Amino acid sequence: MIGTTPKPFEEISRALENYEKVAVIGCDGCAKVCMTGGSDQVVEMAEKLKEKGKTVLFALSPERTCYVGKTKTALDPHLDKLKSADAVLVLGCGGAVQITRKVIEDYDLTIPVKVGLDSVGHMDTLIMGELAIEQCQECGECILNETGGICPVTKCAKSLLNGPCGGAQDGKCEVDSERYCAWILIYNRMAALGELDKLRRFMAPKDYSKMAKPRRLNIKERRVE
Amino acid sequence: MKLTELFDKGEFVITSEVGPVKGCLRSNEGGKLPQCAQEAEMVRGHIHAINVTDNQSAVMRLGSLAASVRLKERGFEPIYQMTCRDRNRIALQSDLLGACSLGIDNVLCLTGDYTSLGDHKSAKSVFDIDSVQLLKIAKGLNEGRDMMGNALTQSTNLALGAVVNPNFEPLDLQLLKMEKKIEAGAEFFQTQAVYDPAVFERMTKKTDKFGVPIQYGIVIVKSPQMGKFMNENVSGVNVPDWIIKEMGSVSKEDRKKKAVEITIRLIREIKPMAQGIHFMPLGWSDIVPDIVKATV
Ligand code: SF4
Ligand code: SF4
Repeated sequence: MIGTTPKPFEEISRALENYEKVAVIGCDGCAKVCMTGGSDQVVEMAEKLKEKGKTVLFALSPERTCYVGKTKTALDPHLDKLKSADAVLVLGCGGAVQITRKVIEDYDLTIPVKVGLDSVGHMDTLIMGELAIEQCQECGECILNETGGICPVTKCAKSLLNGPCGGAQDGKCEVDSERYCAWILIYNRMAALGELDKLRRFMAPKDYSKMAKPRRLNIKERRVE
Repeated sequence: MKLTELFDKGEFVITSEVGPVKGCLRSNEGGKLPQCAQEAEMVRGHIHAINVTDNQSAVMRLGSLAASVRLKERGFEPIYQMTCRDRNRIALQSDLLGACSLGIDNVLCLTGDYTSLGDHKSAKSVFDIDSVQLLKIAKGLNEGRDMMGNALTQSTNLALGAVVNPNFEPLDLQLLKMEKKIEAGAEFFQTQAVYDPAVFERMTKKTDKFGVPIQYGIVIVKSPQMGKFMNENVSGVNVPDWIIKEMGSVSKEDRKKKAVEITIRLIREIKPMAQGIHFMPLGWSDIVPDIVKATV
């Protein structure tokens, strides 16, 4: 999922300063899992905005706000109200905000779309409702086959491909003593798999052109262009 | 002069380290030498070469190349340190060409301390390539081609150094990387600070067969507080209790003397296992000559 954290309410208030009638749109996908923009949180946000004297036209959370189709389906029944909105507040990732903007533009409306969350990357949930961690940066050329299924691009602070820096202490990363050094994890995993020799191979510099932004995914042909 | 020439002659190679100043070296106001040059002067005649750090601990300073060139002008042999933290593969290669063009003969290729440890915590970390890849790329430049295989109008001619941390657990993982560095092009090594001869021996027993010279690295512990600080904050270094105690057993004025004594003791034990010493005096360069005189 895409991890999100709430922006401070003061910051959201500032962003909505000049707008009176507001619609709140969350996301029942990732933002729900992060408890930042699901159906419960949009209702809470609507209440807070009302306390601040705003008129909340509607508050809803599409099943997946990053899908144009699903967001449009969720907004269609509210189009009349939407037309009168001074601004739309999205409690979703940066992608959800931009898809919402696009859907509104496709209605031929020009309404400012504001973001209420900070997006913090692709996260994998370890404990529901408690903890998710970053494990993959979508580098476009997965090397997990070489590293025992542990990603050094993401889990090593320095994205080292040929082994650890000298800084690990008691198995923990020099950058964050709460976190295990990715390379020690990889080493232990490869040792357990009896594949330590594989780590001796030189890993060439990564092809970062595969991460050149913004990427486009041709879903039909299953390739990046 | 390339350090490798000295190692080849069987010379026991002594190097020390200076960190460039946080400022510019354009004018020499008041006739006073900048700190890094002062420190270099303190060890003049007692060392073969001087490492010049690259924005060490991710603290922004004068670049290693500029400071290296200035030291070379003063008759020192600089070892230009290059980290992968701040520059991508284009900039690193370009700077290696620049270094050679400006008369640098030695480069030490490192990963670099992480950005968040320094004084520009919000900077974007680069780490486009790692130290093994940097060594391989630098070797390619020595052979007349860039990393994409394009021919250079003139090859570099740089001696390539690297670092290894004998304190690392598991050691075999650190040595696996060391072997990769050698294969990639590393011609000599400097170690992270070691304060236990047994730790150094544990490494050399396994690395002797690699056939590359290793300089024993030592950070001079200046006070018991510094020893404790290093244990708590400098990853990959262990300052033993006996050093912290001995440094604490003398008055402040006598600490330099004590540090000399401790360092001499360590070097005497480790010297037979090493092909050189690398001092990291962190401001106490003035005591390096006495240590060298007593041990080499
Ligand atoms: S190598 Fe790492 S960042 Fe790249 S795709 Fe695989 S898991 Fe993701
Ligand atoms: S300690 Fe390990 S995880 Fe942390 S930067 Fe170094 S190699 Fe990467």
